[in-house]
Amino acid sequence: MTITRRGFSAALAAGVAMPAVLREALGQSNTLKVGMVLPASGPAADSGKYALTGAKIALERVNKAGGVLSRQVELITEDDQTTNPGAVLAFSKLAAQPDIVAFIGSIRSTQNHAMAPDILKTAKPVCFGGTDPQLTKLGNPWLFRFRPNDSYSGRVIAAYGAETLAKKNWAIVHSTDAFGTSGGKALTDSLGKFGAKVVIDQGYPNQSQDFTAVVLAIKQSGADVIGSYFTFENDLGIFARQLRQLGVTVPWVGSPSITTATAIKLAGPALYGTFGVADYAEESSPEAKEFAGLYRKAASTEPDNFGSWTYDAIGVLCAAINKAGSTDPNKIRDAILATKGYKGAEGEYNFDQYGDGLHGYNIVRNEKGKVIFDKHIEFDD
Amino acid sequence: MSHFLQLLFTGIGIGAVYALVALGFVLIFRATNVVNFAQGEFSMVAAFLMVVCAVDLELPYWLSFLIALGGMALVGAIFNLGVYYPLRHRTFLPVIISTIGASIFLANTTLAIYGPQPQVLPGWFETPGFQVGPVYLDSQYLLIIAVTVVLVAFQYWFFEHTLLGKKLQATSQDKEMASLLGIPVARMIMITFIYSALIGGIAGILVAPILFVSIQMGSSIALKAFAATIIGGFGDVAGAIIGGVALGIIETFGAAYISVPYKDGFAFFVLILFLIFRPQGIFGERVAEKA
Repeated sequence: MTITRRGFSAALAAGVAMPAVLREALGQSNTLKVGMVLPASGPAADSGKYALTGAKIALERVNKAGGVLSRQVELITEDDQTTNPGAVLAFSKLAAQPDIVAFIGSIRSTQNHAMAPDILKTAKPVCFGGTDPQLTKLGNPWLFRFRPNDSYSGRVIAAYGAETLAKKNWAIVHSTDAFGTSGGKALTDSLGKFGAKVVIDQGYPNQSQDFTAVVLAIKQSGADVIGSYFTFENDLGIFARQLRQLGVTVPWVGSPSITTATAIKLAGPALYGTFGVADYAEESSPEAKEFAGLYRKAASTEPDNFGSWTYDAIGVLCAAINKAGSTDPNKIRDAILATKGYKGAEGEYNFDQYGDGLHGYNIVRNEKGKVIFDKHIEFDD
Repeated sequence: MSHFLQLLFTGIGIGAVYALVALGFVLIFRATNVVNFAQGEFSMVAAFLMVVCAVDLELPYWLSFLIALGGMALVGAIFNLGVYYPLRHRTFLPVIISTIGASIFLANTTLAIYGPQPQVLPGWFETPGFQVGPVYLDSQYLLIIAVTVVLVAFQYWFFEHTLLGKKLQATSQDKEMASLLGIPVARMIMITFIYSALIGGIAGILVAPILFVSIQMGSSIALKAFAATIIGGFGDVAGAIIGGVALGIIETFGAAYISVPYKDGFAFFVLILFLIFRPQGIFGERVAEKA
């Protein structure tokens, strides 16, 4: 047999392509794929790493227990670059893979808003962690939230500050993005019901390098308590330090970002004595404690909500697909909505008609850098 | 009045950081006629080197500082050889694109090596700051302002009163003529890149205890520093300093007295005004197209 140049080239091409073809063919039949949009670069890249850790812990547990529909589950990730265009691009790359049955979306509301039209077109379930209450009221049936939304966080911050701490003159500091604006509004609305008033409402742009103007305005306003919605921990860290340097010592009740491992590390003593609402608190339940143990084994950082919501999302999603008995998107959707009493790391999931799984928050306080669980506040509506 | 003084202090402090980074822009622009869009990443890389030495390896602060500067000199030299030198005979556009590529490369390499977590770098002094009357003086900001003043004085002396400085100036003004006079142009440009990387690095190390150390810390400062360079007059050292400090003060006061959400807008609004009404900047001379 003579080896022609053409024959040699064809054999070489086939040889090079074969592993990919085989992987594709085998992968198709063997694993069940879940797509995940997460920040691997950009300002929130650290949180992306925690989210992936949480998801992987849950995945390992599911796969050890026999997988889903007798198949192993595989996670396909795409980097959203911590930007809205990046998130849209990442989601469209995943959506183009027909064998992905469901998705894990973003923890950032603004990115979920950006992806929402494409999610509607793709018509497959997306589990997300953004807390803007509007996200589940967009008329998009494919969005399922795995953290309590900000109508709850606003109510809990207001209830704790106005009743437990008995402070009535509020300074609200919030990011001007979708998350911060809706959070600030939710808090303002809730404060009215507790007879407290907002003496200053101060928005700031993300990635601010200096908060002197904000701190001086708070000082001048005569506020006796601060409520905050910070999107990024480095902003929160700079603000916290400047707040203490310029002598503001009033109590501070913050949205979940104030309780994250990164914020506590960056701000250090400037956050001692602050309060936060946290969807994840280690001491809040046996499931939360169990998650903390697994997380510490897998990562060098402390567990926080970035990892706990993806852990729960994978858990609920896999249970729902098993219950649906099929990968048909409509059947998975119905099974997620029918989930009641699922005990996750963040709390007990009882999905309502809108796709909200959780309906309460924990209050925690920062005691010399340690997050101490205070109480859980649950709502019926 | 106390608020006014507090804002003024912070504005000058932040402005001094912009000025230091702007200085790096100006030096490279003068030597090579291109804008180095990786100048901000020099600050970020130096801050990470500092974290590795001072925090992870627990070396003394001064030693870490020297190691970080040594590292930056190396980065500057490699940058010149890899990013500028191969394209030196091309027009400015390929070089600018090359620096943008280098900026992305530096950011992502640091991300790959060090991971995405923001880091804390302690300040140079034990005391974080002190109260003088109604104004709180952050010791790190005081250091930044002092270093900026010293570096500007050094730079003036170096360029105006040393032979090496004059050779560098001659290179930046006319490379062919400098070469005819026996000045080693390639070596002069190499020195400029190393010096710019050092200045960018110093800015990064100084600002890190205030803004934390993160992958994107460089790009956000560099954008403002770039605006400062245009306001001051591209290619002018005094312009970069005054442009930087002015920008810091404008955005701090704009945030306090007009609107915090539009804080970044003020800086770029001023930039647009300058581009329309005085494109050569405060100190720049109007350059006519060569016939």
